[in-house]
Order: sequence, then C-alpha cells, then structure tokens
Amino acid sequence: MDSLRELFWAGQEVYITQVFMPIIIGVGIFFPAIIGLFVLGFYRRYRLWKVGQGDNRSGEWLTRLLTTLAVAVANVRIVRLKELYPGLMHSLIFGGTALLFLGKIIRLFSFGGLTVPPQSIYLYASLISEIGGVLIIIGGGMAVYRRYIRRPPRLDTVPEDNLVFVWASLLVLTGFMIKGYRIAVSDITPPDWTMWSPVGYLISNVFPTFMTEAKDEILVWHRVLIHTIPAFVFLGYIWLNRSRLQHILISPLNVFFRSLKPKGALAPIDLEKAESFGVSQIEGFTWKQLLDLDACTRCGRCQDACPAYFSGKKLNPKKVIQDLKAHLQAVYPYPLVKKPVESRPDMLTEVITEEVLWDCTTCRACQQACPVYIEHVDKMIDMRRNLAMEKSQFPESAQEALKSLGTREHPWRGTTAGRTDWAKGLGVKVLAEDKNIDILYWVGCTAALEDRNMKVSAATARILQAAGINFGILGTEEACCGDPARRLGDEYLFQTLCQKNIEILKSYNVTKIVTTCPHCFNSLKNEYPQFGGNFEVIHHTRFINDLIASGKIKLGGLASNKTVAYHDSCYLGRYNDIYQPPRDILQAIGGIKKVELSRCMSTSFCCGGGGGHMWMEEEPAKRVNTKRTQDVIDAKADLVATACPYCLSMFEDGLKTKEVAESVKAIDLSELVLQAMALDTKKA
Amino acid sequence: MDILLRVIAIFIEVSLLALIFYCLLNGARLTIFDLGLGVKYRKMVTTALVVDGGIILVFLISHLTLLYPAIGAG
Ligand code: SF4
Ligand code: SF4
Repeated sequence: MDSLRELFWAGQEVYITQVFMPIIIGVGIFFPAIIGLFVLGFYRRYRLWKVGQGDNRSGEWLTRLLTTLAVAVANVRIVRLKELYPGLMHSLIFGGTALLFLGKIIRLFSFGGLTVPPQSIYLYASLISEIGGVLIIIGGGMAVYRRYIRRPPRLDTVPEDNLVFVWASLLVLTGFMIKGYRIAVSDITPPDWTMWSPVGYLISNVFPTFMTEAKDEILVWHRVLIHTIPAFVFLGYIWLNRSRLQHILISPLNVFFRSLKPKGALAPIDLEKAESFGVSQIEGFTWKQLLDLDACTRCGRCQDACPAYFSGKKLNPKKVIQDLKAHLQAVYPYPLVKKPVESRPDMLTEVITEEVLWDCTTCRACQQACPVYIEHVDKMIDMRRNLAMEKSQFPESAQEALKSLGTREHPWRGTTAGRTDWAKGLGVKVLAEDKNIDILYWVGCTAALEDRNMKVSAATARILQAAGINFGILGTEEACCGDPARRLGDEYLFQTLCQKNIEILKSYNVTKIVTTCPHCFNSLKNEYPQFGGNFEVIHHTRFINDLIASGKIKLGGLASNKTVAYHDSCYLGRYNDIYQPPRDILQAIGGIKKVELSRCMSTSFCCGGGGGHMWMEEEPAKRVNTKRTQDVIDAKADLVATACPYCLSMFEDGLKTKEVAESVKAIDLSELVLQAMALDTKKA
Repeated sequence: MDILLRVIAIFIEVSLLALIFYCLLNGARLTIFDLGLGVKYRKMVTTALVVDGGIILVFLISHLTLLYPAIGAG
C-alpha cells in the first residue's frame, strides 16, 4: 500500500500537467464564479422575501437547527410509511449526492500534496464516490419511472424538470466514464485497487476496444470537458435560475424558520392599529409566507392529502402555493422592479379565486403532509380576512351563521333551543346560580344547541357526575368560542366573542376547563392566551381517559361485540396532537372490536366541518363527509366513534347520504363510555 | 469492423456532447428568461440558441470525424 496514492492517480500522473492542472485552474476560476452566482441567486430571492411584512421567527435556535438537520440530513418527514417510494427515492438521490461530494472533497483537498492524508484515503474516496454515483442512478431511475411512466396526478412536469434530469444523468454517466478512462489509461491490468472503483473498472474494459492511442490526451480532454465544465455550469444554473433544485438550499431554510407557536393559533390582528385587514396584495404576506412559496418542491403531497381537492373542489393547496409564487414573480419581474397595483391581476379573484379560498376546511392535512413545513392555512385565512373584513364577501350560508354569531352569539341560526335545554333534569350547576365549582364544563354551541349533539353534552355531564367531579356550566352566559368567526376570516367578531368570554371566565375565577369540542378546545387553549385568557383546558377524551385510568369510573364490556372505528378530529389530532387518549378509552371498553380507518392519526381525513364549512351549503357530489363516510364503510365498522360535535354531525349526515344509517352509527366517545358504565353498574 | 466501431465511438461521443450542449444552451435560455427578459424575446433567443447548438454540433461531428483515434486494442 506504499504507493497507493501514486497508483490511484496513475493515468493522471502521466498527464498531470496537461490534464489535471487545467482542471485545478478551472476550479480556481469556476469556484469563485459559482460562489458569485450563488450569492447573486440567493440575493434575488432574498429581495423578494423582503417585500413581505415582518414576522418574528427568532429564538429556540437549537430546536430550529435540530429540526432542520433532521429534515435535510436524516430526511425525516420526507421518508414516511405512506410515502415510502418517493421518500426512499429522495434519500437515495440525496445520500448519493452527499457521498459523491464527500469523495470529491477528500480528493480535491489531498491533490498535489495540499494535505498529506493516509494513503488509503484515496481508495476510500474512490469507493465512496462510486457508491454515491450508484445510489444516484438507482434513485434517479426511480424518479424517472415515477415521473414519466407512472405519472401520479400530484406531479406536474415542466420543461425545466426534463433539463435537470438529463443534465444530472449526464454528469453521473460522464463521471463514471472518466473514472473508467483513467483506469484504462493506467496500463496496470487489473490493478489491485480496482475493487475500490468497481463501476469505473467495468467501464474501463470498454475503452481499450475503441482506442489505439488510449492515452491520447485529446480524449482525456474530452472526458474532462464533458464532465467537469458541465458540472460547474450545472451548479451555477441551480443557483442562478429558479430551478427546482434550489430547494436544496431554500427548503432547509424554510424548515429552520418554521413556526414554533402552538399549531392551532392564528396570528391576531391588532384591530386598533391595523390600516387594512388581511392580505389582498402579495406584499401583505409576511417574509416567511413568501419564503414558503420558494421553498415548495412541488412534491404534491399536500394535494394528495387535501380533502377539498379529493372531493372534487377547486382548491388544490399545491396550486395555491405555486400560483402565489408565479404571481410574486410576475409582480416583481426584475429583481428591483415592481408592477404597480393597477396593472396586476387581482390576487384574490384572479390568481387564487374566492371559491378556492372558501373551499378550505382548515384541516391542516396539507401542512402535516408537507415535508418542508410550508404553512398553507395561515395564508388562506389571511386572504379570507381581507374578503370578510374589507369587502364583506362570504358564501351566503356562512354569512347567515356569522349574522347569528353577531346577534345570538352562536352560529345555529335556525335553532329554537336554549343553551341549557340539554341539561334539563340532570342537576348540572350553572355558575350564575352556584359558582362553587372545581372545573368548568365548556359545552360549546353545537353540543348545547344541535339536537344530536345535545346527547353528547348530557353523556359527558353524567360521566362527570358519576366520577364525583364538582363542575358547572356557564349556561346562557357562554358565548361561542369564536372559532367559526376566526376561521371564516371575521377577526373582529372573533375578538369580540373571545374577549367577552375571557371576561366572564375571569369573573368566575375559572382556572380549569373541560370541553367536548376540539374547536373550542383549540381556541380556549391556544388562542385565548393571545388576549390574556390563560386557562388549563382539557379535552373530554383526555379527561375521561384519566378518570378511567384513576379508577374513578368503571367500564363494563358492551354486549353487542360491535366493530368500532375511531375518527381522529383534525383540531384534536393534527392541531393538538391528541391521538392516544381516545384510543385508550376504546381499549378500556370491553366487548368491542377496534379497527383503524385507512387514513388515521396524523393522516386522518377531515369530516368536512371545519373552517366554517359546518354552516356552508355544498354540492352533494363534492361533500367531504361522504368521502370520509366511505372510509368507515370500507373499514366494515358498525360504529364510528367521534370526539368532536362537528364530526358527529357530519357523519350522521354522511351515513344518511350513503344510505347506511341503519347499519352504521356515529357515536361520541362519551356516549360509548356512558353505555359501558351503565353495563358495569348493571353487572354490579 | 474497425470502421464500424469507430462510427459507434464517434456516435456515442457526439451524442454525449450534443446532450451536454443541449443542457448548457437550454439552461442558458431558461436562466435568461428567469432573469426577467420579456416573453416577446422568447422566439428570438430560442432561435439564436438553436442555431448556436446546430453550429456546435456540426463542428463536433467534423472535429471528431477528423481527429478521433483509430480503433483497435491499444
Ligand atoms: S387545510 Fe385542509 S382543506 Fe385546507 S388546503 Fe389544507 S388540506 Fe386542503
Ligand atoms: S406545499 Fe409542501 S407538500 Fe405541497 S407541493 Fe409544496 S413542498 Fe410539497
């Protein structure tokens, strides 16, 4: 192994000055050029992000760094069980490229005595590069098969993608050719180090067939010129052009600056200071929202996850991001030039369209699916805010709900029920009459006023009573938590309701709240603190689960031996990471068979009721709830267990539409628990 | 046989170089427009680059045909 280095560079040493010195000089010229292009390319993007509004994304640097490394290096969020093929494909290409660069760097820094590494390092560098190249070929092959043969609808291919594929493939191919050529010209057949260049060695066997003057320097030059220069130009292209490969830099940046606020908290508007509401021009977005646009890799995972898109609506989250990106570029065609507002297309009606904006159920499935933490929902709501607060433009049915919220403090405009009707005969304390309580049961408008859901509030109250919990309700003093208003873009109405509720809660010294509604739960827990309302808020599934675990309530087994599937509510699961307590409750109930729906936990499919859709009219063929009901039917469940009043209503409706209401029932977990408790009592 | 191999070798060489130049010129074209050149110049720029590409291809074929080394085990 003494002269390994010499051997490894055999064939290069012959032409060391003729061939490799020009490369080194080339690198000397190209490298600064590449850095220059990189800075220029980045500056172009940076200028565009800077036109956005301020948004403080500083702090928690270590968390940010670790998440970035996890995504960018370990490919967390990219490789997922449901995304195994594209995930693996990406990891192979990424890992291969990393190895290839590692090999190149080792060799570059040890060339010409720049450093004096142990001799064997040349062999490792060679093998590493070869493995890298092979991984890229496998991953690239998978990508080509997927993009050009399988062609899933979520992928769109633009001419630039084809260019990147051809160019990158050529670089890998010519890289291997050069290696083979170097081995061929070394005249040592077969040298013992060829095992460190297996692919190059295989290729080297082809060259002697073609060349009499295998060492002819012109040919060596060809190999150099068809590989090295295009490789450098490729790097320059990536940085200067807004190529899809810019995600190598911009996506990790986006991950680094991801939101670390509670997932369910929308940014509040300072109503006193704001000169306009929401976003109607591209500059109205924050710099981070504009960075999002550039970070999108067009992978289409959000499109696949979106219930609105799946049910045939106009909304496609990937397209929203891409359309906004194209709009940003059209508004700022040159780095420093801005199109005046009058000559731009209207962002809300022509670029995105109102229909698309109102299609969103705010389910967050897109954000959960997005590997690079792009934040779709905030943008939708910001644009809705402008429609709602500046232009008073809502879908008609949503307008009715908002009107009712404004006048009666709940969105159920048709109801004649009162807020405490469900509690008749249950002996539930109302705080106005007796404020000596430990826990407030926040009932929520739907559980208080909607017929089917009234049974859920009654069941919850009876469970709390059976467990000996000293609780009470606000009764007529409870106003809507404001979630529908906020998600429909009416921030003013939300803040009015929120502040009123906070005042009442504080007046009764409430510190701990249990609620059956994930939307109320999310608002009270994550959004009320923005206005000074800091309470301990617990969802009823977690509370009931704790009661079961502590033995305060005892459950028997249901005799029917029904098959039960639990449906994860978006605002409980994806928004607040509560996945296990509902499942633990089911586990505690005997006599049932549990099944998981095909889309469950963080990839659960929306019921269709969020984002104000509970009160919006929809075309029957495009209803999200019927699609979700199909999942329940496919799972062959007799019961679909819910933990959200919207979901319960949506399933009731979906089961009727699908004409399976007789055989499949929707039931809240509290109702199931109450049934199991009753059986336990009977047994005793 | 040698002549056939020579033709194949030149063909491979020219194909690779043609693809490389396609990438370089197309990359240049996309970058020019991405940098903000108006759409009205699209046809002109594309034509100019296609002509450049054609000239390069002719040069490569003649260059390689004249200079490509003889075939046969060295
Ligand atoms: S939040 Fe849900 S409905 Fe809205 S765009 Fe994302 S996936 Fe689609
Ligand atoms: S927004 Fe995210 S999930 Fe959607 S296409 Fe872009 S990168 Fe992919």
